[in-house]
Amino acid sequence: MSLKLKALLKSPWVFHLSTGSCNNCDIEVLDCLTPRFDIERFGMLLAGSIKHADVLLITGSCNRQSVVRLKRLYEQIPKPCLVVAIGECSLSRGMFIHSYNCPVPLDKIIPVDVYIPGCPPKPEAIIAGVVKLINKIKEGKAKKK
Amino acid sequence: MNRDDILKDINARFPLDIVDIFDKSPKRVYIEIKPVSLTRVAKYIFKDLGARFNTASGVDTRHYMEILYHFTIEDIGLLISLKVKLDKSKKLEIDSLAPIFEGANWIEREMHELLGINFKGHPDLRRLLLSDEWPEGVYPLRKDYKEWDKKAIRDRGV
Repeated sequence: MSLKLKALLKSPWVFHLSTGSCNNCDIEVLDCLTPRFDIERFGMLLAGSIKHADVLLITGSCNRQSVVRLKRLYEQIPKPCLVVAIGECSLSRGMFIHSYNCPVPLDKIIPVDVYIPGCPPKPEAIIAGVVKLINKIKEGKAKKK
Repeated sequence: MNRDDILKDINARFPLDIVDIFDKSPKRVYIEIKPVSLTRVAKYIFKDLGARFNTASGVDTRHYMEILYHFTIEDIGLLISLKVKLDKSKKLEIDSLAPIFEGANWIEREMHELLGINFKGHPDLRRLLLSDEWPEGVYPLRKDYKEWDKKAIRDRGV
């Protein structure tokens, strides 16, 4: 494991991006940050700016207008970074798969490291997914970016 | 004015403009009018009856493009929906309500881009929601919409 990745895992700062979700996944992400689930015990903090972030949390079905913004944000995040897709919409667009406004799923636009399914996923599922990601990197199996 | 007076008043003022009145429930009434008399009736409901313009909705049916303008008279809790039917075989055109009340501005822009209805006299009929790459003359909420994007992926990859 490179030094950069090791430093990233100590305290991954997350940036939360909604690409046109119904807000349910966003509420669950917010739930993770509250004292009840408290992902700060894993060192995770919500970053206000993408330039401070190590992990990109993405919810929503990537519609035509937000794909442009998504790409712009992905260019700005410091590498190496990790991308987490949260919820059915960002995995496969869910019920919006035939929508005129959602042509391409998220993992065809940018590389995704962890998929957390559910509509919306429980906070426990989100935490489990992120912990799995951290373990995956520690074992050196994750994609290098 | 109570509910019955209002309906009677509308009936008496616009006998030639009204096609049909459907009294659905105590809180809701649908008034179908001719497209040419839309501005007159809407102006009366908005300015004289003091109704609030909620929103408008466009529906693509088999032979007609329907627009429903929803007005609420809050004092008596009545929702009036003005219904206009545009013949699909002719040009889809109707007078804009945006010069009368500003609230109609954006919803008319939205109906213009999603259903392709032309609003005559609208101050600024630009695009509102669709992205810039969207081609001209393709209206996604019409029944005969066909996929135009060759790059779109429509399977779940499993």
